[in-house]
Amino acid sequence: MTDLSRRTLLGASAAAAVAAPLATPAMAQPRWPARPVQMLCPWAAGGGTDAVLRMSAILLEKELGQPFNVVNRTGGSGVVGHAAISQAAPDGYTLGMITAEICMLHWQGLTEITYRNYTPLGLMNNDAPGVTVNVNSPYRDVKALAEAIKASRPGQLKASGTGQGGIWHLALAGWLNAMGLKADHVRWVPSNGAAPAMQDLAAGGLDFTTCSIPEARAMLDANRARALAVMAPARVSAFPAIPTLKEAMGLDYNNGAWRGIAGPPGLPAPVAQAMEAALDKVFKSKDYQDFLLSRGFGAVYESAAGFARHLAAADISLGNSMKEAGLAK
Amino acid sequence: MNDMIEAVRLVLAWDVLIAIMASAVYGLVVGSLPGLSATMATALLVPVTFYLSPIAAIATIITASAMAIFSGDIPGCLLRIPGTPASAAYTDEAYAMTRKGQAELALGAGLWFSAIGGIVGTISLVVMAPMLAEMALSFSTYEYFWLAFLGLMCATLVARSSPIKAIASMLLGLLFACIGMENPAGTPRFVFGVTNLLGGIEPIPALVGVFAVSEVMRAMVTAAPPKLPDRKFGSILKGQWGLTKKYQWQMWRGNIVGIIIGVLPGAGADMAAWVSYAMSKKWSKEPEKFGTGHVEGLVEAGASNNASLASGWVPALLFGIPGDTITAIAIGVLYMKGLNPGPTLFTERASSMYALYIIFVLANIIMIPLGIAMIRLASRILRAPRSSVMPVIILLCAVGAFATGANLFSVFLVGVFGCVGYVMERNGYPVAALVLGIVMGSMVEQNFITSLIKSDGNPLPFIERPVSAVLASLTLGALLWPAGVWVFNRMQRRRAAA
Amino acid sequence: MQLSDRITGLFLAGLGLAAAWGGSRLPAVPGQDVGPAAFPMLIGGGLILCGVMIAFGIGHSFEVPEEAEDERHSSAYGLRALLPPGLLLFYALAVDHLGFMLTAAFIVASAALALGAKPKLAVPLAIGAPIFVHAVFAKLLRVPLADGILPAFW
Repeated sequence: MTDLSRRTLLGASAAAAVAAPLATPAMAQPRWPARPVQMLCPWAAGGGTDAVLRMSAILLEKELGQPFNVVNRTGGSGVVGHAAISQAAPDGYTLGMITAEICMLHWQGLTEITYRNYTPLGLMNNDAPGVTVNVNSPYRDVKALAEAIKASRPGQLKASGTGQGGIWHLALAGWLNAMGLKADHVRWVPSNGAAPAMQDLAAGGLDFTTCSIPEARAMLDANRARALAVMAPARVSAFPAIPTLKEAMGLDYNNGAWRGIAGPPGLPAPVAQAMEAALDKVFKSKDYQDFLLSRGFGAVYESAAGFARHLAAADISLGNSMKEAGLAK
Repeated sequence: MNDMIEAVRLVLAWDVLIAIMASAVYGLVVGSLPGLSATMATALLVPVTFYLSPIAAIATIITASAMAIFSGDIPGCLLRIPGTPASAAYTDEAYAMTRKGQAELALGAGLWFSAIGGIVGTISLVVMAPMLAEMALSFSTYEYFWLAFLGLMCATLVARSSPIKAIASMLLGLLFACIGMENPAGTPRFVFGVTNLLGGIEPIPALVGVFAVSEVMRAMVTAAPPKLPDRKFGSILKGQWGLTKKYQWQMWRGNIVGIIIGVLPGAGADMAAWVSYAMSKKWSKEPEKFGTGHVEGLVEAGASNNASLASGWVPALLFGIPGDTITAIAIGVLYMKGLNPGPTLFTERASSMYALYIIFVLANIIMIPLGIAMIRLASRILRAPRSSVMPVIILLCAVGAFATGANLFSVFLVGVFGCVGYVMERNGYPVAALVLGIVMGSMVEQNFITSLIKSDGNPLPFIERPVSAVLASLTLGALLWPAGVWVFNRMQRRRAAA
Repeated sequence: MQLSDRITGLFLAGLGLAAAWGGSRLPAVPGQDVGPAAFPMLIGGGLILCGVMIAFGIGHSFEVPEEAEDERHSSAYGLRALLPPGLLLFYALAVDHLGFMLTAAFIVASAALALGAKPKLAVPLAIGAPIFVHAVFAKLLRVPLADGILPAFW
């Protein structure tokens, strides 16, 4: 505990030292943040996005010296919360976490809002999809599963991991496309998220799941499921034994559920700069890295400019996957 | 044994004890506020747990959720405003007892049998966790479909009205549950272009609307009821031992049903109370007394309620699969604190596990004195004039609904459901059945549709797996039984007339 | 609002018909045989069945007679029941502009007066209740209640 508070003090003074020269030109206005900042989370308390945002908020509070309060504004598969972030007053006191869904919802015609309606501040995490089977499944590695998929008739094998048109559904569609198969060659069974899908996999109701490895982790630890591969450019640091698709079958297909912090469009430059500097520190802090490792979350970071590029690229690639899978409007 | 001593040491740390006491009071207060559920109480604790040691963090979640589930009964009993979807099953019964001047018996039974249920549930967690987990893992979507179907049929049993109107109310609830895009296809349904409806109808605003707001609406057009005789609120625990002996069989049945339903992920405490109340009525020697202020159903449902809460931790701790929304939040906290769920938690971190068990038992024991204090405090409401209580309820409905999603649309929804509930009540449609439909809707549809997708439209897998076959025949039996009785009676009467 | 079973039954049947019709027009999902239409159509069918049975009075014998409405007043008196939902609507529309304190005070005061409270009770209640609720929700539970033109004084 003493160690923690010392680090807090160091962090706070360091932040003050960095922020002081930035704030000088705008002396007329009080230095941001002068009061508590509201952080909107489009997903429910207790989930992965909530956890990442709350961890970031605590560390931001240490960096910037004002409380960062997380508010869960849920509903509509994330539409409601994402809309609230982009429509907030651009004064820097309402920010939030946007997730991969922001580059998917508008393709489905569920909202008008796209990634362009935000000021990106920093990408904080990216979880790659995995390929997981029941522990009693005959498929020992991803190659064997791929052979079985190619040999099956369309719709014979069943996979799950999230709802219809969700990020893991797209991972399946993209993987099938990369194998030269149609996106619906394996029938997708929509579920209310990864946990029910993993339960059904363990109960013998599914052939495989494509949710992320951290989501499958407890079942893997319980020896009820076996992870065959991860769809990422490199192995995930928390799970070094699981090969990538490229290693296992020479297929270069990557996808992921990423999460980043953003504000409404037109955020004042001093706010954006202060946040970017603080987020960079937060990501590099030992607390944040320990947190990611203990939960098995993928440690991927992009600065504001990098996050903006990432958003533009993800919007196109996710849109293409959705069109191929017949999910886009 | 060393693990056990270590566990006691972990729990007896001052920060853990303070966390238990503080979160107990917190859970009691939040649970008793109309519109705030046990889930809300837990969710609002998450930011606090960041600053606590792992054991203290889990202790706050366990204690607060157990307390909130119990204290959800208090406003239901005193004001006919259920605090949680679980207590909606027997709210009318408890309120009828209050009107008969037996509020202390009703609340005392809720408290006493909640505590017993919680402790029995914990024992099941200690003794049979691997076995229960095995059972939970044998449930695929087919089994869940039958289970949800059986749960829905409770609507006809719980209500004191025409069974057809009860089914119609339940179907109306299911129709409300169709709104939004939280369905297997992810297609927006019946949203009429309203973004706020995309997320669907949450059970809490509906619950608060049909019970609390409609009650205030009724107060607006009726004269104030005669004041209850101003007498001392009797001993709260007196008579509970007698009830325990008299309804021993019901209590154990409630405990067992609660444990079984609680351990199934997705079914949770909400359904356990409904099923137990319905079973209690079905097999009671005096079913005609149900709904008029009869304590028997409260005994069984109260025990079931808290037993399910404890057993809901089994799949959460062993496989990281949440049994309900409370354990979903708890799993997040477990991960955050480095207590990753999985069988290794039971072997490598056995002392932490034992500490968890001790906290469960401790929480259910301190529930009794704190609960009594809370009941005494809350029962003052009965003496306050109606014109001062009802306005505050309206305000709490508004703020409570807003708190569920930080969204003003929920406040509007509460008003709409107030009107719906008011009209339904006046015309003999039970609102409890509507709530059951809304709570269960997405589970029924999810499992029905995904089962159809998995079986390629073939009905055989619905009855082919061993567990699903048993559940299917139970459902069929429960469906055909009343019809059979009706036909039989009809024939008897005809024979008598001839 | 006591209506005959014929009216409520036919209303439910009509609602069921609308649900089934609305459900049948939902687009199918690519790659799936069972789509979003199945469940609403099923429920709609059930509602039609139940509604017709209620309209014909089947099962009426099981019902417990409702307590009679207070008949001493004119029919306009029944409109008073609309006050609580009206106040909730007012809250949803006004709280972001007026702030929590003023909106809450107005709601409590008008509901108390409508229920026959004397100003001696209604005024302290309208001042005390919002402060108490704000303390519990905004301070303890950190629910973001709007400040508006009269922020809480702490």
